[in-house]
Amino acid sequence: MAMTDYELPCERDVEQVWERLDAVGAGLADEHELTCPHCRAARESLLALREATTELVAEDDVPPALFGRIMSAVRAEVRRGSMVALPTPEPGFVEISEQAVAAVLRYAADTVDGVRARRCRVRTGVDGVVEVELTLAVSVRNVAGGAALALVRERVTAAAAARVGLTLAKLDLLVDDVYGEPGE
Amino acid sequence: MTTSAEPGTPLDDVTLVGRAKDGDVQAYEQLVLRYQGPMFRLAVKMLAHRGDAEDVVQEVFLNAWRKLDQLGEDAAFVGWLYRATTNRCLNVIRARKPQADVDLDTAESPRADLQPERAAQVSGQLAALNAALAQLTPEQRACWLLREVHGRSYEEIGEVVGANATAVRGRIARARAQLAEVMKPWR
Repeated sequence: MAMTDYELPCERDVEQVWERLDAVGAGLADEHELTCPHCRAARESLLALREATTELVAEDDVPPALFGRIMSAVRAEVRRGSMVALPTPEPGFVEISEQAVAAVLRYAADTVDGVRARRCRVRTGVDGVVEVELTLAVSVRNVAGGAALALVRERVTAAAAARVGLTLAKLDLLVDDVYGEPGE
Repeated sequence: MTTSAEPGTPLDDVTLVGRAKDGDVQAYEQLVLRYQGPMFRLAVKMLAHRGDAEDVVQEVFLNAWRKLDQLGEDAAFVGWLYRATTNRCLNVIRARKPQADVDLDTAESPRADLQPERAAQVSGQLAALNAALAQLTPEQRACWLLREVHGRSYEEIGEVVGANATAVRGRIARARAQLAEVMKPWR
C-alpha cells in the first residue's frame, strides 16, 4: 500500500514508518521494525524532521510594526454606517452614527456578568423610531436564567437613554450561543 | 456591580467577529492581534521573504475587514484567514520571475534578509529544513505547512488548495518523505 512512491528497499513506505513513529518510540516495535536498517534510517530522518519542525514553528517572530501597519490601513476604511437623529429642542439637528450607538449598547450589555454582546443592529424608522436587535452569547451559568437577560434589557435601555439620549421603541435580545468558562 | 469584562478573559472569536461586522474597530484589533502571528509565520515560510510576507498579511487583514459581511458563519473566520493567506502567497509566487534555472545558492538568497545575529542562531537542522522547503512545489509547501505547523485538518487544507482530503493527504505524505530525505545528513 505505497501511498507516496517513497518505498524503502524493504518495501515499507515512508508514510508507514511515520505513522508508526510514536508506537516504535514507545517500545511497541514489531519484529521487522526492530531489525530493518532501512526502517531505522527512515525513522531517524523523520525524527530529525519532527524536531526541526518544532524549531521552525518558533523561528519567525512577528515584526513589531506589522500590527500598526494593518490597523492604520483598516482605520482608513472604517465604516461609519447610517446616522441616527437625536431628539433635540434646539433648532438644527444632532446625529449620531448607528455604529456609535451600537458600541454604547454593547458596552452596557457587557457589564452584566456572564453576558457577551455580539452584533448590535440599530435601525431607525422613517418616523425616527429606533429599534435595536442585540445578539448575545451567555455563559453556561446564565442559560436557564431570564434574570441576566432582564438585567441586560434594563441596562441597555438605560444606557440608550442616559448616554445617548435615545428612547428605544423596541429591543430584541437574541441569545445565539452559550460559552463555558474556565474552571467549570 | 459585577462585570464580565475582566482582563484576562479574552472574548471568543465569534463574539469579536460579530462586533467587527458591526464596524467595531477595537474588536477587529483583537482578532488581528490574535491571528497576525500565525498568518505571518505561514506567509514567511511560503515566501521565504519577510518583507513580502508582511505585505501579504497586511492585505489579508485589510481585505478581510472589507469583506467581513460576506463571511457566512462567524466561526469560520480563522479558516477564511488561512485560505486568504495561502492563496495570496501562491499568487505572489506565481507573479515572481521564473527561477527555474537558478541554482540552490541563489534560490536560498531571500533568507539573507534575516538579521545576522538571528541567522547565526539558526540550527543546522533548521537551516536544512528551510532549504528543503524551498525545493517543494508551492502547493506542496502550503499543504505541509498548514498541516504540520498550523495543525489544520485535511478537509480544510483541501478547500484551500482545491483538492479533496485524500489528495491532500498524499501530497503531505510526499512532502514529508522529501523533507525527511534532506534531513539525513543532519541526524
